[in-house]
Amino acid sequence: MLHKYAVLLRMKWVEMFEYRLASLVWVFGAMTQPLITMLVWMNIDREASATFILYFASLIVVERLTTAWDVWELDREIREGSFSYYIVRPFAHVHWAIAENLVYKLVFFVILAPVWLVAAIFVPALRLKLDWGQLALFVFALLIASAIRFLFSYSFGLLGFWVTKVTAIYGMLEAISLFFSGRIAPLSFLPPVIQQLSFYLPFRYMVGFPVELLTGDVHGTAGDGFLLAIFWMLCFLALTFALWKRGLKKNQAVGG
Amino acid sequence: MSIHVQHLQKNFQVHVRNAGWIDALRSLFHREYRTVEAVKDISFQIESGEIVGFLGPNGAGKTTTIKMLAGLLYPTAGQILVEGFVPFEQKVEFKKMMSLVMGQKSQLIWDIPPMETFLVNKAVYEIEERAFQRTLEELVELLELQPLLGKPTRSLSLGQRMKCELAATLLHQPKVLFLDEPTIGLDVHTQEKVRQFIAKYNREHNTTILLTSHYMGDVTALCQRVMIINHGQLLYDGDLQILSEKLTPYKLIEVRLPEVPSVSWEKYGELVGVDEGKVSLRVARERVTDVSARLLHDFSVADLNIQDPPMEEVITLAFQEEVHAS
Repeated sequence: MLHKYAVLLRMKWVEMFEYRLASLVWVFGAMTQPLITMLVWMNIDREASATFILYFASLIVVERLTTAWDVWELDREIREGSFSYYIVRPFAHVHWAIAENLVYKLVFFVILAPVWLVAAIFVPALRLKLDWGQLALFVFALLIASAIRFLFSYSFGLLGFWVTKVTAIYGMLEAISLFFSGRIAPLSFLPPVIQQLSFYLPFRYMVGFPVELLTGDVHGTAGDGFLLAIFWMLCFLALTFALWKRGLKKNQAVGG
Repeated sequence: MSIHVQHLQKNFQVHVRNAGWIDALRSLFHREYRTVEAVKDISFQIESGEIVGFLGPNGAGKTTTIKMLAGLLYPTAGQILVEGFVPFEQKVEFKKMMSLVMGQKSQLIWDIPPMETFLVNKAVYEIEERAFQRTLEELVELLELQPLLGKPTRSLSLGQRMKCELAATLLHQPKVLFLDEPTIGLDVHTQEKVRQFIAKYNREHNTTILLTSHYMGDVTALCQRVMIINHGQLLYDGDLQILSEKLTPYKLIEVRLPEVPSVSWEKYGELVGVDEGKVSLRVARERVTDVSARLLHDFSVADLNIQDPPMEEVITLAFQEEVHAS
Protein backbone atom coordinates (compact mmCIF):
# COMPACT_ATOMS: atom_id res chain seq x y z
CA MET A 1 0.00 0.00 0.00
CA LEU A 2 2.71 2.45 1.04
CA HIS A 3 4.78 1.52 -1.97
CA LYS A 4 1.81 2.11 -4.29
CA TYR A 5 1.29 5.52 -2.71
CA ALA A 6 4.96 6.36 -3.04
CA VAL A 7 4.80 5.57 -6.77
CA LEU A 8 1.58 7.53 -7.28
CA LEU A 9 2.97 10.51 -5.37
CA ARG A 10 6.10 10.49 -7.49
CA MET A 11 4.03 10.33 -10.68
CA LYS A 12 1.76 13.17 -9.57
CA TRP A 13 4.87 15.15 -8.67
CA VAL A 14 6.31 14.66 -12.16
CA GLU A 15 2.95 15.54 -13.66
CA MET A 16 2.67 18.70 -11.60
CA PHE A 17 5.99 19.96 -12.90
CA GLU A 18 4.53 19.70 -16.38
CA TYR A 19 2.02 22.30 -15.23
CA ARG A 20 4.45 24.68 -13.50
CA LEU A 21 2.67 27.85 -14.50
CA ALA A 22 -0.80 26.54 -13.72
CA SER A 23 0.40 25.37 -10.30
CA LEU A 24 1.65 28.87 -9.48
CA VAL A 25 -1.63 30.36 -10.62
CA TRP A 26 -3.47 27.93 -8.34
CA VAL A 27 -1.41 29.16 -5.38
CA PHE A 28 -1.39 32.88 -6.03
CA GLY A 29 -4.58 33.27 -8.05
CA ALA A 30 -6.58 31.88 -5.17
CA MET A 31 -5.30 34.69 -2.95
CA THR A 32 -7.08 37.40 -4.90
CA GLN A 33 -10.56 36.98 -3.52
CA PRO A 34 -9.58 36.79 0.19
CA LEU A 35 -7.17 39.73 -0.24
CA ILE A 36 -9.87 41.93 -1.76
CA THR A 37 -12.35 40.90 0.93
CA MET A 38 -9.72 41.73 3.53
CA LEU A 39 -9.16 45.21 2.07
CA VAL A 40 -12.90 45.86 2.08
CA TRP A 41 -13.18 44.89 5.75
CA MET A 42 -10.09 46.90 6.69
CA ASN A 43 -11.69 49.89 5.05
CA ILE A 44 -14.93 49.38 6.96
CA ASP A 45 -13.27 48.98 10.33
CA ARG A 46 -9.80 50.52 10.35
CA GLU A 47 -9.32 49.91 14.09
CA ALA A 48 -9.45 46.14 13.58
CA SER A 49 -7.00 46.03 10.65
CA ALA A 50 -4.56 43.75 12.44
CA THR A 51 -7.33 41.24 13.21
CA PHE A 52 -8.41 41.17 9.58
CA ILE A 53 -4.86 40.77 8.29
CA LEU A 54 -4.27 37.76 10.54
CA TYR A 55 -7.71 36.30 9.78
CA PHE A 56 -7.46 36.54 6.01
CA ALA A 57 -3.82 35.46 5.85
CA SER A 58 -4.81 32.36 7.84
CA LEU A 59 -7.78 31.92 5.57
CA ILE A 60 -5.59 31.93 2.46
CA VAL A 61 -3.31 29.26 3.92
CA VAL A 62 -6.13 27.08 5.24
CA GLU A 63 -8.16 27.47 2.07
CA ARG A 64 -5.26 26.33 -0.13
CA LEU A 65 -4.33 23.44 2.15
CA THR A 66 -7.89 22.12 2.27
CA THR A 67 -9.10 22.88 -1.24
CA ALA A 68 -10.40 19.96 -3.33
CA TRP A 69 -11.04 19.90 -7.06
CA ASP A 70 -12.03 16.25 -7.34
CA VAL A 71 -15.60 16.98 -8.36
CA TRP A 72 -14.34 18.59 -11.58
CA GLU A 73 -11.99 15.72 -12.34
CA LEU A 74 -14.58 13.03 -11.63
CA ASP A 75 -17.26 14.83 -13.57
CA ARG A 76 -15.00 14.93 -16.62
CA GLU A 77 -13.65 11.40 -16.24
CA ILE A 78 -17.08 9.85 -15.82
CA ARG A 79 -18.68 11.90 -18.61
CA GLU A 80 -15.86 11.20 -21.06
CA GLY A 81 -15.49 7.57 -20.07
CA SER A 82 -11.80 7.68 -19.12
CA PHE A 83 -12.92 6.60 -15.64
CA SER A 84 -13.15 3.05 -17.01
CA TYR A 85 -9.39 2.56 -16.87
CA TYR A 86 -9.44 3.23 -13.14
CA ILE A 87 -12.15 0.64 -12.59
CA VAL A 88 -10.33 -2.14 -14.42
CA ARG A 89 -7.07 -1.58 -12.56
CA PRO A 90 -6.60 -3.16 -9.13
CA PHE A 91 -6.21 0.08 -7.14
CA ALA A 92 -9.31 2.16 -6.48
CA HIS A 93 -9.63 5.56 -8.10
CA VAL A 94 -9.89 7.30 -4.75
CA HIS A 95 -6.23 6.50 -4.01
CA TRP A 96 -5.12 8.32 -7.14
CA ALA A 97 -7.19 11.30 -6.04
CA ILE A 98 -5.74 11.25 -2.51
CA ALA A 99 -2.20 11.06 -3.89
CA GLU A 100 -2.86 14.06 -6.12
CA ASN A 101 -4.28 16.04 -3.22
CA LEU A 102 -1.28 15.25 -1.04
CA VAL A 103 1.23 16.36 -3.67
CA TYR A 104 -0.46 19.63 -4.51
CA LYS A 105 -1.10 20.53 -0.88
CA LEU A 106 2.49 19.78 0.03
CA VAL A 107 3.61 22.15 -2.70
CA PHE A 108 1.13 24.81 -1.61
CA PHE A 109 2.55 24.51 1.91
CA VAL A 110 6.14 24.70 0.76
CA ILE A 111 5.36 27.90 -1.12
CA LEU A 112 3.05 29.55 1.41
CA ALA A 113 4.96 28.86 4.64
CA PRO A 114 8.08 30.86 3.70
CA VAL A 115 5.91 33.65 2.28
CA TRP A 116 4.17 33.89 5.67
CA LEU A 117 7.48 33.84 7.58
CA VAL A 118 8.97 36.63 5.48
CA ALA A 119 5.77 38.67 5.65
CA ALA A 120 5.73 38.28 9.45
CA ILE A 121 9.02 40.20 9.63
CA PHE A 122 7.30 43.26 8.17
CA VAL A 123 3.74 42.79 9.40
CA PRO A 124 3.53 42.33 13.18
CA ALA A 125 -0.07 41.09 12.91
CA LEU A 126 1.22 37.89 11.30
CA ARG A 127 3.40 36.91 14.28
CA LEU A 128 1.52 33.97 15.79
CA LYS A 129 1.10 33.71 19.54
CA LEU A 130 0.29 30.01 19.76
CA ASP A 131 1.81 27.45 22.08
CA TRP A 132 2.66 23.97 20.80
CA GLY A 133 -0.62 22.52 22.07
CA GLN A 134 -2.67 25.10 20.18
CA LEU A 135 -0.59 24.55 17.09
CA ALA A 136 -1.18 20.81 17.32
CA LEU A 137 -4.93 21.39 17.62
CA PHE A 138 -4.79 23.63 14.55
CA VAL A 139 -2.95 20.98 12.54
CA PHE A 140 -5.47 18.35 13.65
CA ALA A 141 -8.40 20.58 12.64
CA LEU A 142 -6.69 21.33 9.34
CA LEU A 143 -6.32 17.62 8.56
CA ILE A 144 -9.98 16.98 9.34
CA ALA A 145 -10.97 20.03 7.28
CA SER A 146 -9.11 18.80 4.24
CA ALA A 147 -10.59 15.33 4.68
CA ILE A 148 -14.12 16.80 4.82
CA ARG A 149 -13.58 19.01 1.80
CA PHE A 150 -12.02 16.15 -0.14
CA LEU A 151 -14.80 13.71 0.69
CA PHE A 152 -17.46 16.34 0.00
CA SER A 153 -15.99 17.08 -3.40
CA TYR A 154 -15.34 13.41 -4.18
CA SER A 155 -18.79 12.19 -3.19
CA PHE A 156 -20.31 14.99 -5.21
CA GLY A 157 -18.22 13.91 -8.16
CA LEU A 158 -19.54 10.36 -7.82
CA LEU A 159 -23.03 11.75 -8.40
CA GLY A 160 -21.76 12.03 -11.97
CA PHE A 161 -22.85 8.40 -12.36
CA TRP A 162 -26.45 9.63 -12.13
CA VAL A 163 -26.36 13.24 -13.26
CA THR A 164 -24.35 14.81 -16.04
CA LYS A 165 -22.57 18.05 -15.13
CA VAL A 166 -22.84 17.82 -11.36
CA THR A 167 -20.36 20.67 -11.21
CA ALA A 168 -23.19 23.17 -11.72
CA ILE A 169 -24.87 22.11 -8.47
CA TYR A 170 -21.52 21.97 -6.74
CA GLY A 171 -20.73 25.53 -7.85
CA MET A 172 -23.94 26.72 -6.26
CA LEU A 173 -23.12 25.03 -2.96
CA GLU A 174 -19.63 26.50 -3.04
CA ALA A 175 -21.19 29.96 -3.37
CA ILE A 176 -23.48 29.34 -0.38
CA SER A 177 -20.57 27.95 1.59
CA LEU A 178 -18.67 31.23 1.13
CA PHE A 179 -20.77 32.62 3.98
CA PHE A 180 -21.04 29.58 6.20
CA SER A 181 -17.39 28.61 5.92
CA GLY A 182 -16.12 32.00 7.05
CA ARG A 183 -14.58 32.92 3.75
CA ILE A 184 -16.45 36.21 3.38
CA ALA A 185 -15.89 37.35 6.95
CA PRO A 186 -15.03 35.97 10.38
CA LEU A 187 -18.12 34.23 11.72
CA SER A 188 -18.40 36.68 14.62
CA PHE A 189 -19.11 39.43 12.05
CA LEU A 190 -22.06 37.63 10.53
CA PRO A 191 -25.72 37.79 11.64
CA PRO A 192 -26.54 35.50 14.61
CA VAL A 193 -28.74 33.23 12.46
CA ILE A 194 -25.89 32.47 10.11
CA GLN A 195 -23.56 31.96 13.06
CA GLN A 196 -26.00 29.44 14.55
CA LEU A 197 -26.51 27.63 11.28
CA SER A 198 -22.83 27.53 10.43
CA PHE A 199 -22.15 25.87 13.75
CA TYR A 200 -24.13 22.81 12.65
CA LEU A 201 -23.50 22.82 8.88
CA PRO A 202 -20.35 21.15 7.51
CA PHE A 203 -18.93 24.26 5.81
CA ARG A 204 -17.36 25.87 8.88
CA TYR A 205 -15.37 22.68 9.49
CA MET A 206 -13.97 22.84 5.96
CA VAL A 207 -12.25 26.21 6.41
CA GLY A 208 -13.48 28.46 9.22
CA PHE A 209 -12.77 26.22 12.21
CA PRO A 210 -9.03 25.74 11.60
CA VAL A 211 -8.73 29.46 10.85
CA GLU A 212 -10.36 30.25 14.19
CA LEU A 213 -7.89 27.94 15.94
CA LEU A 214 -4.95 29.58 14.19
CA THR A 215 -6.08 33.11 14.99
CA GLY A 216 -6.99 32.13 18.54
CA ASP A 217 -10.58 33.35 18.20
CA VAL A 218 -12.68 30.19 18.44
CA HIS A 219 -16.42 30.48 18.17
CA GLY A 220 -17.91 28.32 20.94
CA THR A 221 -15.61 25.69 22.44
CA ALA A 222 -12.89 23.89 20.50
CA GLY A 223 -14.19 20.55 21.85
CA ASP A 224 -17.63 21.05 20.30
CA GLY A 225 -15.98 22.12 17.08
CA PHE A 226 -13.90 18.95 16.91
CA LEU A 227 -16.92 16.77 17.65
CA LEU A 228 -18.92 18.28 14.82
CA ALA A 229 -15.93 18.25 12.48
CA ILE A 230 -15.35 14.54 13.08
CA PHE A 231 -19.08 13.88 12.79
CA TRP A 232 -19.20 15.51 9.34
CA MET A 233 -16.03 13.78 8.23
CA LEU A 234 -17.54 10.38 9.07
CA CYS A 235 -20.81 11.32 7.35
CA PHE A 236 -19.06 12.17 4.10
CA LEU A 237 -16.87 9.09 4.40
CA ALA A 238 -19.95 6.89 4.64
CA LEU A 239 -21.59 8.79 1.80
CA THR A 240 -18.54 8.32 -0.42
CA PHE A 241 -18.52 4.57 0.19
CA ALA A 242 -22.26 4.25 -0.45
CA LEU A 243 -22.14 6.31 -3.65
CA TRP A 244 -19.13 4.38 -4.91
CA LYS A 245 -20.88 1.03 -4.46
CA ARG A 246 -24.13 2.15 -6.04
CA GLY A 247 -22.46 4.29 -8.68
CA LEU A 248 -20.49 1.37 -10.09
CA LYS A 249 -23.73 -0.48 -10.71
CA LYS A 250 -25.19 2.56 -12.36
CA ASN A 251 -22.05 3.21 -14.39
CA GLN A 252 -22.65 3.26 -18.10
CA ALA A 253 -18.93 3.28 -18.95
CA VAL A 254 -19.70 5.67 -21.77
CA GLY A 255 -17.73 5.93 -24.97
CA GLY A 256 -15.24 3.69 -26.67
CA MET B 1 -12.44 -22.91 -20.03
CA SER B 2 -11.41 -19.30 -19.91
CA ILE B 3 -14.63 -17.39 -20.51
CA HIS B 4 -18.10 -18.67 -19.87
CA VAL B 5 -21.14 -16.51 -20.68
CA GLN B 6 -24.73 -17.58 -20.26
CA HIS B 7 -27.92 -15.72 -21.14
CA LEU B 8 -26.22 -12.38 -20.77
CA GLN B 9 -28.43 -9.31 -20.96
CA LYS B 10 -27.94 -5.60 -20.58
CA ASN B 11 -30.62 -2.94 -20.69
CA PHE B 12 -30.01 0.79 -20.57
CA GLN B 13 -32.49 3.44 -19.56
CA VAL B 14 -32.23 6.18 -22.12
CA HIS B 15 -33.76 9.57 -21.73
CA VAL B 16 -35.79 10.36 -24.85
CA ARG B 17 -36.25 13.90 -26.03
CA ASN B 18 -37.04 15.44 -29.35
CA ALA B 19 -34.87 18.19 -30.76
CA GLY B 20 -35.90 21.80 -30.34
CA TRP B 21 -36.37 24.46 -27.69
CA ILE B 22 -39.84 23.53 -26.52
CA ASP B 23 -39.01 19.87 -26.04
CA ALA B 24 -35.80 20.73 -24.25
CA LEU B 25 -37.78 22.85 -21.81
CA ARG B 26 -40.46 20.22 -21.43
CA SER B 27 -37.84 17.61 -20.58
CA LEU B 28 -36.84 19.70 -17.58
CA PHE B 29 -40.13 18.87 -15.90
CA HIS B 30 -41.16 15.64 -17.44
CA ARG B 31 -38.60 13.07 -18.45
CA GLU B 32 -39.46 10.11 -20.54
CA TYR B 33 -37.28 7.06 -20.49
CA ARG B 34 -37.02 4.25 -22.92
CA THR B 35 -35.40 0.90 -22.26
CA VAL B 36 -32.77 -0.04 -24.80
CA GLU B 37 -31.87 -3.69 -24.90
CA ALA B 38 -28.21 -3.40 -25.83
CA VAL B 39 -27.51 -7.10 -25.26
CA LYS B 40 -30.51 -9.40 -25.41
CA ASP B 41 -29.54 -12.96 -24.65
CA ILE B 42 -26.02 -14.03 -25.41
CA SER B 43 -24.27 -17.26 -24.50
CA PHE B 44 -20.82 -18.45 -25.54
CA GLN B 45 -17.66 -20.05 -24.26
CA ILE B 46 -14.05 -19.33 -25.03
CA GLU B 47 -11.22 -21.75 -24.35
CA SER B 48 -7.89 -20.69 -22.86
CA GLY B 49 -5.49 -19.36 -25.47
CA GLU B 50 -8.16 -18.81 -28.12
CA ILE B 51 -8.38 -15.60 -30.16
CA VAL B 52 -11.97 -14.82 -31.01
CA GLY B 53 -13.13 -12.01 -33.26
CA PHE B 54 -16.24 -10.20 -32.18
CA LEU B 55 -17.93 -8.59 -35.15
CA GLY B 56 -20.96 -6.44 -35.63
CA PRO B 57 -22.02 -3.07 -36.97
CA ASN B 58 -21.95 0.05 -34.78
CA GLY B 59 -24.35 -0.24 -31.85
CA ALA B 60 -24.66 -4.02 -32.19
CA GLY B 61 -23.71 -4.67 -28.56
CA LYS B 62 -20.04 -5.67 -28.95
CA THR B 63 -18.55 -3.04 -26.69
CA THR B 64 -21.33 -3.44 -24.11
CA THR B 65 -20.56 -7.17 -23.93
CA ILE B 66 -16.82 -6.57 -23.60
CA LYS B 67 -17.42 -4.02 -20.87
CA MET B 68 -19.50 -6.51 -18.93
CA LEU B 69 -16.77 -9.12 -19.33
CA ALA B 70 -14.22 -6.65 -17.99
CA GLY B 71 -16.38 -5.78 -14.98
CA LEU B 72 -17.14 -2.22 -16.06
CA LEU B 73 -20.85 -2.74 -16.54
CA TYR B 74 -23.29 -4.49 -14.30
CA PRO B 75 -25.26 -7.07 -16.29
CA THR B 76 -29.05 -6.84 -16.20
CA ALA B 77 -29.29 -10.64 -16.25
CA GLY B 78 -27.23 -13.70 -16.99
CA GLN B 79 -23.95 -15.17 -15.80
CA ILE B 80 -20.36 -14.38 -16.66
CA LEU B 81 -17.31 -16.25 -15.49
CA VAL B 82 -13.87 -15.14 -16.59
CA GLU B 83 -11.16 -17.53 -15.38
CA GLY B 84 -13.56 -18.48 -12.61
CA PHE B 85 -14.26 -14.90 -11.51
CA VAL B 86 -17.51 -12.97 -11.67
CA PRO B 87 -16.21 -9.73 -13.23
CA PHE B 88 -18.53 -7.27 -11.53
CA GLU B 89 -17.47 -8.44 -8.08
CA GLN B 90 -14.37 -6.33 -8.78
CA LYS B 91 -11.98 -8.72 -7.08
CA VAL B 92 -8.36 -7.61 -7.12
CA GLU B 93 -7.27 -11.09 -8.26
CA PHE B 94 -9.60 -10.79 -11.25
CA LYS B 95 -8.25 -7.40 -12.24
CA LYS B 96 -4.70 -8.67 -11.96
CA MET B 97 -5.20 -11.42 -14.50
CA MET B 98 -7.10 -9.51 -17.18
CA SER B 99 -6.63 -6.42 -19.26
CA LEU B 100 -8.75 -4.17 -21.41
CA VAL B 101 -7.65 -1.99 -24.31
CA MET B 102 -10.14 0.49 -25.68
CA GLY B 103 -8.95 1.91 -28.97
CA GLN B 104 -10.73 5.18 -28.39
CA LYS B 105 -9.64 5.71 -24.81
CA SER B 106 -6.25 5.97 -23.24
CA GLN B 107 -4.92 4.81 -19.92
CA LEU B 108 -1.59 6.53 -20.48
CA ILE B 109 -1.10 9.64 -18.41
CA TRP B 110 -1.45 12.37 -20.96
CA ASP B 111 1.19 14.94 -20.09
CA ILE B 112 4.09 12.78 -19.01
CA PRO B 113 6.05 10.03 -20.79
CA PRO B 114 4.57 6.49 -21.15
CA MET B 115 7.30 5.13 -18.90
CA GLU B 116 5.58 6.86 -15.96
CA THR B 117 2.37 4.96 -16.66
CA PHE B 118 4.38 1.73 -16.87
CA LEU B 119 5.91 2.42 -13.46
CA VAL B 120 2.52 3.20 -11.97
CA ASN B 121 1.11 -0.04 -13.38
CA LYS B 122 4.09 -1.93 -12.01
CA ALA B 123 3.13 -0.68 -8.56
CA VAL B 124 -0.65 -1.08 -8.74
CA TYR B 125 -0.44 -4.57 -10.25
CA GLU B 126 2.32 -5.46 -7.78
CA ILE B 127 4.68 -6.71 -10.48
CA GLU B 128 8.04 -7.88 -9.17
CA GLU B 129 11.07 -5.94 -10.32
CA ARG B 130 12.64 -8.80 -12.28
CA ALA B 131 9.42 -9.85 -13.97
CA PHE B 132 8.73 -6.21 -14.81
CA GLN B 133 12.14 -5.69 -16.39
CA ARG B 134 11.85 -8.89 -18.37
CA THR B 135 8.35 -8.13 -19.69
CA LEU B 136 9.21 -4.53 -20.40
CA GLU B 137 12.28 -5.55 -22.38
CA GLU B 138 10.23 -8.00 -24.39
CA LEU B 139 7.50 -5.47 -25.11
CA VAL B 140 9.94 -2.69 -25.95
CA GLU B 141 11.61 -4.96 -28.46
CA LEU B 142 8.46 -6.40 -30.01
CA LEU B 143 6.71 -3.06 -30.29
CA GLU B 144 9.84 -0.96 -30.97
CA LEU B 145 9.11 1.38 -28.10
CA GLN B 146 12.61 2.49 -27.13
CA PRO B 147 12.49 5.95 -28.75
CA LEU B 148 9.01 6.63 -27.35
CA LEU B 149 9.54 5.88 -23.68
CA GLY B 150 10.75 9.33 -22.70
CA LYS B 151 8.43 11.50 -24.78
CA PRO B 152 5.29 13.00 -23.26
CA THR B 153 2.30 10.89 -24.28
CA ARG B 154 0.51 13.88 -25.80
CA SER B 155 3.28 14.30 -28.37
CA LEU B 156 3.06 10.71 -29.65
CA SER B 157 1.25 9.85 -32.86
CA LEU B 158 -1.88 7.71 -32.67
CA GLY B 159 0.01 4.59 -33.74
CA GLN B 160 2.86 5.18 -31.30
CA ARG B 161 0.35 5.75 -28.54
CA MET B 162 -1.52 2.54 -29.28
CA LYS B 163 1.73 0.59 -29.09
CA CYS B 164 2.46 2.10 -25.68
CA GLU B 165 -1.14 1.45 -24.70
CA LEU B 166 -0.70 -2.25 -25.50
CA ALA B 167 2.52 -2.37 -23.54
CA ALA B 168 0.86 -0.74 -20.51
CA THR B 169 -1.92 -3.31 -20.51
CA LEU B 170 0.39 -6.31 -20.92
CA LEU B 171 3.00 -5.52 -18.27
CA HIS B 172 1.25 -7.67 -15.69
CA GLN B 173 0.97 -10.54 -18.21
CA PRO B 174 -2.80 -10.97 -18.17
CA LYS B 175 -4.30 -14.35 -18.93
CA VAL B 176 -7.29 -12.74 -20.61
CA LEU B 177 -7.14 -9.75 -22.90
CA PHE B 178 -10.09 -7.74 -24.18
CA LEU B 179 -9.23 -5.64 -27.20
CA ASP B 180 -11.92 -3.20 -28.24
CA GLU B 181 -10.99 -1.82 -31.64
CA PRO B 182 -7.24 -1.73 -31.00
CA THR B 183 -6.38 -0.65 -34.54
CA ILE B 184 -8.94 2.10 -34.97
CA GLY B 185 -7.54 5.12 -36.78
CA LEU B 186 -4.13 3.52 -37.43
CA ASP B 187 -2.47 3.52 -40.83
CA VAL B 188 -2.18 0.25 -42.74
CA HIS B 189 1.45 -0.30 -41.83
CA THR B 190 0.88 0.22 -38.11
CA GLN B 191 -2.27 -1.93 -38.21
CA GLU B 192 -0.18 -4.73 -39.64
CA LYS B 193 2.46 -4.27 -36.92
CA VAL B 194 -0.12 -4.34 -34.17
CA ARG B 195 -1.72 -7.47 -35.66
CA GLN B 196 1.60 -9.27 -35.89
CA PHE B 197 2.30 -8.33 -32.33
CA ILE B 198 -1.04 -9.62 -31.06
CA ALA B 199 -0.63 -12.90 -32.96
CA LYS B 200 2.90 -13.42 -31.65
CA TYR B 201 1.95 -12.48 -28.13
CA ASN B 202 -0.95 -14.92 -28.15
CA ARG B 203 1.28 -17.73 -29.45
CA GLU B 204 4.00 -17.16 -26.90
CA HIS B 205 1.90 -16.49 -23.83
CA ASN B 206 -1.23 -18.50 -24.61
CA THR B 207 -3.35 -15.46 -23.70
CA THR B 208 -7.09 -15.69 -24.29
CA ILE B 209 -8.05 -12.78 -26.54
CA LEU B 210 -11.44 -11.38 -27.43
CA LEU B 211 -11.12 -8.79 -30.15
CA THR B 212 -13.57 -6.39 -31.72
CA SER B 213 -12.69 -4.51 -34.84
CA HIS B 214 -14.17 -2.77 -37.82
CA TYR B 215 -11.25 -3.81 -39.95
CA MET B 216 -11.73 -7.21 -41.55
CA GLY B 217 -7.97 -7.41 -41.89
CA ASP B 218 -7.63 -7.70 -38.12
CA VAL B 219 -10.10 -10.52 -37.97
CA THR B 220 -8.90 -12.53 -40.93
CA ALA B 221 -5.29 -12.21 -39.80
CA LEU B 222 -5.90 -13.13 -36.18
CA CYS B 223 -9.06 -15.09 -35.64
CA GLN B 224 -10.11 -18.52 -36.71
CA ARG B 225 -13.32 -18.20 -34.82
CA VAL B 226 -15.70 -15.28 -35.04
CA MET B 227 -18.84 -14.31 -33.22
CA ILE B 228 -21.21 -12.07 -35.10
CA ILE B 229 -23.58 -9.94 -33.13
CA ASN B 230 -26.32 -7.59 -34.26
CA HIS B 231 -29.18 -5.94 -32.39
CA GLY B 232 -27.83 -7.47 -29.18
CA GLN B 233 -28.09 -11.03 -30.42
CA LEU B 234 -25.49 -13.54 -31.45
CA LEU B 235 -26.06 -14.40 -35.11
CA TYR B 236 -23.11 -16.67 -35.69
CA ASP B 237 -20.43 -18.31 -33.60
CA GLY B 238 -17.96 -20.49 -35.38
CA ASP B 239 -15.21 -20.86 -37.93
CA LEU B 240 -14.61 -17.87 -40.17
CA GLN B 241 -13.90 -20.05 -43.21
CA ILE B 242 -17.09 -22.04 -42.80
CA LEU B 243 -19.06 -18.84 -42.50
CA SER B 244 -17.55 -17.60 -45.70
CA GLU B 245 -18.41 -20.83 -47.52
CA LYS B 246 -21.91 -20.76 -46.17
CA LEU B 247 -22.76 -17.22 -47.07
CA THR B 248 -20.84 -16.89 -50.29
CA PRO B 249 -21.04 -20.30 -51.95
CA TYR B 250 -18.84 -19.19 -54.84
CA LYS B 251 -15.30 -18.10 -55.65
CA LEU B 252 -13.93 -15.56 -58.05
CA ILE B 253 -11.88 -16.79 -60.99
CA GLU B 254 -9.75 -14.26 -62.77
CA VAL B 255 -8.34 -15.29 -66.18
CA ARG B 256 -5.67 -13.32 -68.02
CA LEU B 257 -5.62 -13.82 -71.76
CA PRO B 258 -3.41 -12.28 -74.49
CA GLU B 259 -6.63 -11.36 -76.28
CA VAL B 260 -10.15 -11.64 -74.95
CA PRO B 261 -12.25 -13.65 -77.44
CA SER B 262 -15.94 -12.82 -77.80
CA VAL B 263 -17.50 -16.02 -76.50
CA SER B 264 -20.42 -16.67 -74.24
CA TRP B 265 -18.77 -16.68 -70.79
CA GLU B 266 -22.01 -17.66 -69.10
CA LYS B 267 -21.35 -21.33 -69.63
CA TYR B 268 -18.29 -21.05 -67.37
CA GLY B 269 -19.84 -18.91 -64.66
CA GLU B 270 -21.48 -15.60 -63.87
CA LEU B 271 -19.60 -12.84 -65.65
CA VAL B 272 -18.44 -10.15 -63.20
CA GLY B 273 -16.43 -8.06 -65.65
CA VAL B 274 -14.29 -8.01 -68.75
CA ASP B 275 -11.26 -5.77 -68.73
CA GLU B 276 -8.36 -5.39 -71.11
CA GLY B 277 -6.97 -8.92 -71.26
CA LYS B 278 -8.79 -9.96 -68.07
CA VAL B 279 -12.07 -11.77 -67.43
CA SER B 280 -13.61 -12.15 -63.95
CA LEU B 281 -16.10 -14.90 -63.28
CA ARG B 282 -18.16 -15.86 -60.24
CA VAL B 283 -18.27 -19.65 -59.98
CA ALA B 284 -20.01 -21.97 -57.51
CA ARG B 285 -17.49 -23.46 -55.10
CA GLU B 286 -18.08 -27.08 -56.17
CA ARG B 287 -17.52 -26.21 -59.84
CA VAL B 288 -14.30 -24.24 -59.40
CA THR B 289 -11.87 -27.08 -60.21
CA ASP B 290 -13.91 -28.16 -63.15
CA VAL B 291 -14.32 -24.67 -64.62
CA SER B 292 -10.64 -23.86 -64.15
CA ALA B 293 -9.65 -26.98 -66.04
CA ARG B 294 -12.03 -26.13 -68.87
CA LEU B 295 -10.78 -22.57 -69.10
CA LEU B 296 -7.20 -23.80 -69.32
CA HIS B 297 -8.23 -26.24 -71.99
CA ASP B 298 -10.36 -23.86 -74.09
CA PHE B 299 -8.06 -20.84 -74.13
CA SER B 300 -4.39 -20.06 -74.10
CA VAL B 301 -4.46 -18.69 -70.59
CA ALA B 302 -1.59 -16.43 -69.46
CA ASP B 303 -2.61 -16.50 -65.81
CA LEU B 304 -5.44 -17.89 -63.72
CA ASN B 305 -6.27 -16.75 -60.24
CA ILE B 306 -8.87 -18.21 -57.84
CA GLN B 307 -10.01 -16.07 -54.94
CA ASP B 308 -12.40 -16.23 -52.03
CA PRO B 309 -14.92 -13.41 -52.10
CA PRO B 310 -13.78 -10.45 -50.01
CA MET B 311 -14.46 -10.96 -46.31
CA GLU B 312 -16.26 -7.60 -46.11
CA GLU B 313 -18.89 -9.03 -48.42
CA VAL B 314 -19.27 -12.12 -46.24
CA ILE B 315 -19.69 -10.06 -43.13
CA THR B 316 -22.15 -7.66 -44.70
CA LEU B 317 -24.23 -10.66 -45.68
CA ALA B 318 -23.89 -12.12 -42.20
CA PHE B 319 -25.19 -8.91 -40.62
CA GLN B 320 -28.25 -9.11 -42.81
CA GLU B 321 -29.03 -12.78 -42.60
CA GLU B 322 -29.47 -14.83 -39.53
CA VAL B 323 -27.00 -17.67 -39.84
CA HIS B 324 -26.46 -20.23 -37.19
CA ALA B 325 -23.31 -22.07 -36.40
CA SER B 326 -23.21 -25.57 -37.71
